[in-house]
Amino acid sequence: MKDLSYRDVNREIMNAMTPPGKLYVLIVAFLFVGILVLFSFWGYQISRGLGVAGVMHPVVWGTYLVNFVFWVGIAHSGTLISAILYLLRAPWRTAIARSSEAMTVFAVMTAGLFPLIHLGRVWVVYWMIPYPNQRNLWPNFQSPLVFDVVAISTYLTVSVLFWYTGLIPDLAAIRDQAKGVRRRLYGLFSLNWTGTHHQWGHYGWSYLLFAALATPLVISVHSVVSWDFALSIVPGWHSTIFAPYFVAGAIHSGLAMVLVLLIPLRRIYRFENIITMNTLENIAKTIILTGLIMGYSYGIEYFMAWYSGDRVEEYTFLWRAIGHYAPQFWIMLICNTVAPLFYFFKKLRTNLVTLCSIAVLINLGMWFERYVIIVGSVAHEYDPYSWGIYSPTWVDYGILVGSFSLFLFLFFLFAKFLPAISITEVKEELEPPRRRGAGRCKEATG
Amino acid sequence: MQGSDRVMHKLAFMGIFTYLDDLIEAVEGLKRAKADFTVYTPVPRPEIREAIGMKPSPVRYFTLFGAIFGIVSGLGLAVFTVLQWKFIVSGKPIVPWAPFVIIAFEFCILLGVLITVIGMLVTTRLPQLHIPLYYDPRFSVDRFGILVRGVETRQEEVSKILKDAGAEEVHEIAA
Repeated sequence: MKDLSYRDVNREIMNAMTPPGKLYVLIVAFLFVGILVLFSFWGYQISRGLGVAGVMHPVVWGTYLVNFVFWVGIAHSGTLISAILYLLRAPWRTAIARSSEAMTVFAVMTAGLFPLIHLGRVWVVYWMIPYPNQRNLWPNFQSPLVFDVVAISTYLTVSVLFWYTGLIPDLAAIRDQAKGVRRRLYGLFSLNWTGTHHQWGHYGWSYLLFAALATPLVISVHSVVSWDFALSIVPGWHSTIFAPYFVAGAIHSGLAMVLVLLIPLRRIYRFENIITMNTLENIAKTIILTGLIMGYSYGIEYFMAWYSGDRVEEYTFLWRAIGHYAPQFWIMLICNTVAPLFYFFKKLRTNLVTLCSIAVLINLGMWFERYVIIVGSVAHEYDPYSWGIYSPTWVDYGILVGSFSLFLFLFFLFAKFLPAISITEVKEELEPPRRRGAGRCKEATG
Repeated sequence: MQGSDRVMHKLAFMGIFTYLDDLIEAVEGLKRAKADFTVYTPVPRPEIREAIGMKPSPVRYFTLFGAIFGIVSGLGLAVFTVLQWKFIVSGKPIVPWAPFVIIAFEFCILLGVLITVIGMLVTTRLPQLHIPLYYDPRFSVDRFGILVRGVETRQEEVSKILKDAGAEEVHEIAA
């Protein structure tokens, strides 16, 4: 990357934005069909009632809540990379920050659909919004579910604004090279940015302040999601470790998703010069850390279940490992804690196939983790008379597939129509062209 | 330009630079000559900030105001709503502070960010209706530019500063 000139950076990143080929159109059309499946299945559920999904007493939080927590988790590492690593001045984040932020925005949008899908009467969802009304009824701000509405909507708003703000100078760079309608469109969204020193000065401060505000937000959002569970008294949920455990899990799955998305993107758009193997290795090393935190958290959960002397808690955790959901539990344990350990071997973390395969396994493991926690706990609560087993129906599976389609569809559109790597930030990492005491960067030519 | 044609344009110079150190030299020369100038760059550089002597942006105050306003409004909303129907929830006081910290925190971030965006738009004067005609598209690729205004009485002096510093091109423009 250090050998690139400013002009090379513009050219390499904008090369990805050439008119789409047949394969791209085919994939996007295929993903669009997946989105139609999502909305048609949801429409079917609205017309027939929530009973068409697998949720039934005692398990009333099925895959919809699993998907919700999974997608919110995926969103987390985007903000981690764009805000926390920005404040820590980690240079390897530059090449991957933009696509991770895009991943955050699309994952929160996908996650936000699930509480709506899970509502029996979605058309009265506006009751959750605090607005003056004739009967003077308001949401209960002491409820973790209302915390969640506030936290997720704040997170969506902040991540969209953070992403868009980062895009402004790049949209101006595209505008300057484009013609006709494209020029007008990119010009409109770039707010006619011209890159004066006044603009850069205020913009730099604003971006820093955004990062400073987004950092505590990202930690708070998954903590609040974990309190949806931990503030109840359900065995397996009622634990103070939940907030840090969920935040670490979110980053674990999010970083794995970054690898799953970036490895093909890097190959297709020939970004090897910008997204270097060193960047991918750094992500893999961070995953080792989060994987170890996950292993520790799973261990502590079992320790606390034993140490508390609470028989229900002990039984819940025993049942997780050997009961009806034991296969999901062992998939979770192996994929989340054992698989990342292979990244300790340099040979495996520098091989794109193993790097990507382990990341896929981690995503699978993290989806099952939420399944085990959510479904496994409410299926066997205190009263044996109320025990029950949950199995997803074809509606649940259709909506799950649809949510992946929606996420990937949005990501594909992003990679084609917006710069997938920040032009400005990559340039900031390069030595500027100097006449005297020439830096490492090539002189600008042309 | 249609809209701005009505404005009386004055003579200005636009110097275009390839090298950062040339640009810095020109900025320092123009500062010494007390000229009114604007620098265009593809990327923010600390050297330029230092040469110009830029002060921290007032956008910080927008953020501070937004964050405080967020805390007050989040807390205010939560307290107001529980006071409408004085139900005891979970055996806690009517106004329980612990859960409201979360609401106040989220509103702090939300309004802090929203008002920072407003602050950014106000301070950077975006969105602009038109891009000035003298703006060079190379400024978003790999060239630096300096626009010097108010040069009617000192054309030679300003032109010399730009050229001596190593400007690749110097244009006379109306700005």
